[in-house]
Amino acid sequence: MDLLPTPEQEEIVTSIASVIAGNHTTGEPLTDALWEAAAAQGWFGLGLEEALGGVGYSLAEEVLLFTELGRAAVPGPFLATVLASRLAAEAGEADLTQQLISGSDRVGLAERWDDDRFSVLDADGATMALIVDGERVTLVDLGGVALDSIPSFDTLVPVSLAIDLHESPALATAPDGPALLRRGALLSAALLAGIAKATTDQSVCYGIDREQFGQPVGGFQAVKHRCADMATRAEVAACQVLYAALAERDGRPDAEFHVHAARVVAARAAVENSQINVQNHGGIGFTWEHTAHRYVTRSRVYASVLGTTHTHLGATLAATAPQ
Amino acid sequence: MNLDFTPEEQAFREEARTWLAEHLPTEERPPDGQPMREFDLAWQKTLFEGGWAGINWPKEYGGRGLNDIQQMIWYEEFARADPPFTLNNSCTFVGNNHGGPTLIVSGTDEQKSFHLPKILQGDVVWCQGFSEPGAGSDLGSLSCKAVIDGDELVVNGQKIWTSYAHVADFQELLVRTDPSAPKHKGISWVICDMTTPGIEIREITTMSHVNDFCEVFYDDVRIPLSNVVGQVNDGWRVTMTTLSFERGTAFMADQVELAAVVERLIEEAKVRTGPDGKRPAIADDEIARRLSLARAEVAALKAMTIAGISRTQRTGVPGPEGSMTRLFHGELHQRVYQLGLDIIGPEALRLTPVDGNGWTGPYLQSFAYTIGGGTTDIQRNIVGERVLGLPRVK
Repeated sequence: MDLLPTPEQEEIVTSIASVIAGNHTTGEPLTDALWEAAAAQGWFGLGLEEALGGVGYSLAEEVLLFTELGRAAVPGPFLATVLASRLAAEAGEADLTQQLISGSDRVGLAERWDDDRFSVLDADGATMALIVDGERVTLVDLGGVALDSIPSFDTLVPVSLAIDLHESPALATAPDGPALLRRGALLSAALLAGIAKATTDQSVCYGIDREQFGQPVGGFQAVKHRCADMATRAEVAACQVLYAALAERDGRPDAEFHVHAARVVAARAAVENSQINVQNHGGIGFTWEHTAHRYVTRSRVYASVLGTTHTHLGATLAATAPQ
Repeated sequence: MNLDFTPEEQAFREEARTWLAEHLPTEERPPDGQPMREFDLAWQKTLFEGGWAGINWPKEYGGRGLNDIQQMIWYEEFARADPPFTLNNSCTFVGNNHGGPTLIVSGTDEQKSFHLPKILQGDVVWCQGFSEPGAGSDLGSLSCKAVIDGDELVVNGQKIWTSYAHVADFQELLVRTDPSAPKHKGISWVICDMTTPGIEIREITTMSHVNDFCEVFYDDVRIPLSNVVGQVNDGWRVTMTTLSFERGTAFMADQVELAAVVERLIEEAKVRTGPDGKRPAIADDEIARRLSLARAEVAALKAMTIAGISRTQRTGVPGPEGSMTRLFHGELHQRVYQLGLDIIGPEALRLTPVDGNGWTGPYLQSFAYTIGGGTTDIQRNIVGERVLGLPRVK
């Protein structure tokens, strides 16, 4: 039993982080360069078996990827596109799988908005949408679908509304919707765990650099203890996300519980840390120029997709007890 | 990264489960005094005879020389066996988790061969002599004085919050041997025989109705210099070694047991009447949500514990990251028992023992979890300064 990344996994993380750093600036929109680099690196099929056209790593490595994407606040339809390539592969659509892994298509994430409409995240530039409707997950073509964009809470995650989206012809349907949704929930938890870590790092850096009353503010216990709590929440989230990834990867009987638990603790850590991070920065943290607000809105977006903290909490109690 | 147990670890689990089923005491632990001491030592003796004492102690010192994963498996099996007492709430705790490990790292051959077998076999009780009325969180400012006189130290002063001093044979005692040196440089770590003339012990009753919290007074207490562990005036370094064990595995038993407590609380919530006086407690939204969160958080605590073990296996010593586990665990433990009192309804009016499956006694005892072994404020300082690299408090 070992819950730390292996040397090989550490290399994967280093390589992912350097690709992101070379093609993306936190607070800026997704660049085409990063999307293309992601495709070239095989990120859209990272956790997909080689027989299905993927890179052949597992959910554990995918979780490491999404933690890095969360950490750098990379916007863009990574989550839905990665889930879509798996859906296509599991549905036996080999050509569609290859198309998605190649990065030629971007996939928006569609969930119920109300009785009549779906919200679609990242629909701008997307050619397909992954529709989550209860436990049914389908991939549809967005061509010809009327999308009504609304002002988005996170300005880098565009939101559109669509009527009758589920009546669009399905390109493929997930053979096992709940399994795909568990995977999606865990990857969103990884994004959230990344945010919890990034915001801790931002606060710590500022606590060391910023001086008041003749000393770095991080020396004051009021600030230091908030940072210690942030670090603890981030560590709690990271550990549970990794545990859940291994439980789900290995098909353990308590995997479902661990995925819900991971999403709960990661969402709480990301939301709380990103809020306190603004406070730790004082006036500059309240400005548009600073990236602190990016984590505030991004954490809320990720905590609202593929279930809410409320629904995951309920599922945590209903699931088979942890072993 | 994997969650798999090796065949040896799996076999170890089976062996532990079988043994526990046959040997776990069924009677309640006496709450105080000599009967409590006898109960705790008898259990330690049973453990020793069964080969379960010092699971992660090196073999050369009578332990089993097994890894921390096996130690964790042992705690899991102990919790699963539904024992009438908790592992760490024992007067053998300091010997097993503090004094013994410190001697293994820093003791002389004579100190090791005399003391370690006695600790493992359940012959002796050790207590801690660190805190003083004027030195709590600021342990380095301790003032209990020891003067060298020939081949002896002469100790004068006072210690406080010394659990089980009234039933102890030996004490890990921190004394100031050089008052002129900077505060962390003039401290020595000595083994104090609690039967030495000049020692007076007074029991202090805690808010959880327990009398094992003591203060100890030293009036010209003579301790052989050969009882110093490490060098004279090198006690702070020796102490830090001891405390790293505390941040490492010493509280793993509590952390593992907490998962079982939460499952037990979920069962309670199904049978107790909830706040509306009609439906079971678990049907109440707020209670269900708090239970769900507790269940998620104890799972994450276990993941954190495993990550800590993995880290220690790579570096050899428990790192400061363990303070995050201590901090999270202490506060989570309290939240679980606070929730317990909210769930049991009128039963919250009945006092239950600190040990066992009741809720009110353990609730009162839970206040110790954010104070003992370094308050949560101190844990936050350690995380801030040693994990995150923030400037030290001036």
